[in-house]
Amino acid sequence: MKILENLTKINRRYIFLLVALAVIIPLIVPMKLPTIPGKYTVKLYGFIDKIPPQSQPILIAADYSPSMMPELQPMLEAVIRHCFAKGIRVVIMTLDPNGAALSEEALKKIAPEYGAVNGRDYAFLGFKPGSSIVMMSIGENFRQAFPTDFYGTPLDSLPMMNGIRNYADVPLVLSIAGSAITQGWIAYAHTRYHANVGAGCTAVSTADYYPFLQAGQLVGLLNGMKGASEYEYLNKKNGYSSAAPVATKGMNAVSIVHLLLMLFIILGNIGYLVTRHNQSKK
Amino acid sequence: MIFSTNPWVWIAAILTLGIFSFLYKENPFYRFAEHLFVGISAGYGVAIYWNNAIVPNLYVPVFQQHNYWFIIPGLIGLMFFFRFSSKAGWLILIPLAVLLGTGSGMGLAPTFQTDILKQMQSAIGDATNLQLGGWGLVWGLVTFVGVLTTLSYFFFSREQKGALKISANIGIWFIMIGFGASFGNTVMGRIALLIGRVQFLLTDWIHVIK
Repeated sequence: MKILENLTKINRRYIFLLVALAVIIPLIVPMKLPTIPGKYTVKLYGFIDKIPPQSQPILIAADYSPSMMPELQPMLEAVIRHCFAKGIRVVIMTLDPNGAALSEEALKKIAPEYGAVNGRDYAFLGFKPGSSIVMMSIGENFRQAFPTDFYGTPLDSLPMMNGIRNYADVPLVLSIAGSAITQGWIAYAHTRYHANVGAGCTAVSTADYYPFLQAGQLVGLLNGMKGASEYEYLNKKNGYSSAAPVATKGMNAVSIVHLLLMLFIILGNIGYLVTRHNQSKK
Repeated sequence: MIFSTNPWVWIAAILTLGIFSFLYKENPFYRFAEHLFVGISAGYGVAIYWNNAIVPNLYVPVFQQHNYWFIIPGLIGLMFFFRFSSKAGWLILIPLAVLLGTGSGMGLAPTFQTDILKQMQSAIGDATNLQLGGWGLVWGLVTFVGVLTTLSYFFFSREQKGALKISANIGIWFIMIGFGASFGNTVMGRIALLIGRVQFLLTDWIHVIK
């Protein structure tokens, strides 16, 4: 009983150490835990997969900063790989000041893998402040919000932007964000301009978006690192990517840490109940 | 184990370890990394907003395109700086009013439609849509009951007793399940962030994994 009581008094540094080991070991020692794509990942993947090659581009809003990178960057990379492999054009923009560097890094890494060319296969619009105003401006015309791309080239000079005016000309708006900005995309792009909106979000905010999925306001949802690993899995399964699955490796560690945390929660509760029982006897 | 020869990777790795050192206890190494982060973030933010907001939206229209109407919103924006004045501090209310007014005007209708009308339509629609059949209909009904009972928990205009109390108590269960789902996802998210930094240290810094 003394041992059980002491469970509530363990120095938190031992717990940190165990969590660190639970993260490091699965990353170093290869594990092959199965990846089973979730319903909403499959929906989003299927939606993008059905877009005809070399047709209208999808708009990706990479609205996140480095603090959300481990969850959202693999997501962005997996979607770009899928699009480039299928010949689907992409327009990438960001409403987060830190997002431009991250999305440009992803494009520069992936475009050469598929021979994608700026202006023909993708357009990078960069960062624009004023979130909801930008979303509404795009509803009128892309050129209102972004007269030029990130590199200063007028949008009309980019071959792939010919005839692309507003949301009506993009089959999907994909908001990859670590904040409530996705709700803005739903309110403005979907509700006001009737665009199809998909989302990729951090696990912290996933629960907030289920009501939108249920109501059909989102075509699909990628849930944090799990969603990214599922997308990587589908890419690999369909032969669209041979890149190292960063999120999938991370998910092995997540699974182990989750088991560890569940154990801590059970032990902590047992310790608490025993302590309370002993105190009530006294 | 082969260490990186890239000095930027070393700086990032040392700062990451500096932040992690807080897990042991508060120390100057952690403080330095924290303050450096705050300072760099603020500086980066100012530079980005200057180049992406002030220059294209104020400087270029006024000084290069001679479109002087843009001076008016520019001046309204500058009025935010009256906050630093004890006498003229009240003038900050003007830009705030413009900001709140336009924000509410633009956001009210789509937000109401997105967050309330569509959600109500979905909650009612799924519970009564016989075409969903089987489990689809069951979950539709569960959602419907969840919405009603949760709303009843937040109904404070009447004392919670009798049927209202029963409904509110069921609502608490739905709220708790919602919190549980959020907490579980939060744990996954936080662990993912830790994994991201550990992956960086093991991959880019000491090349233990590929």
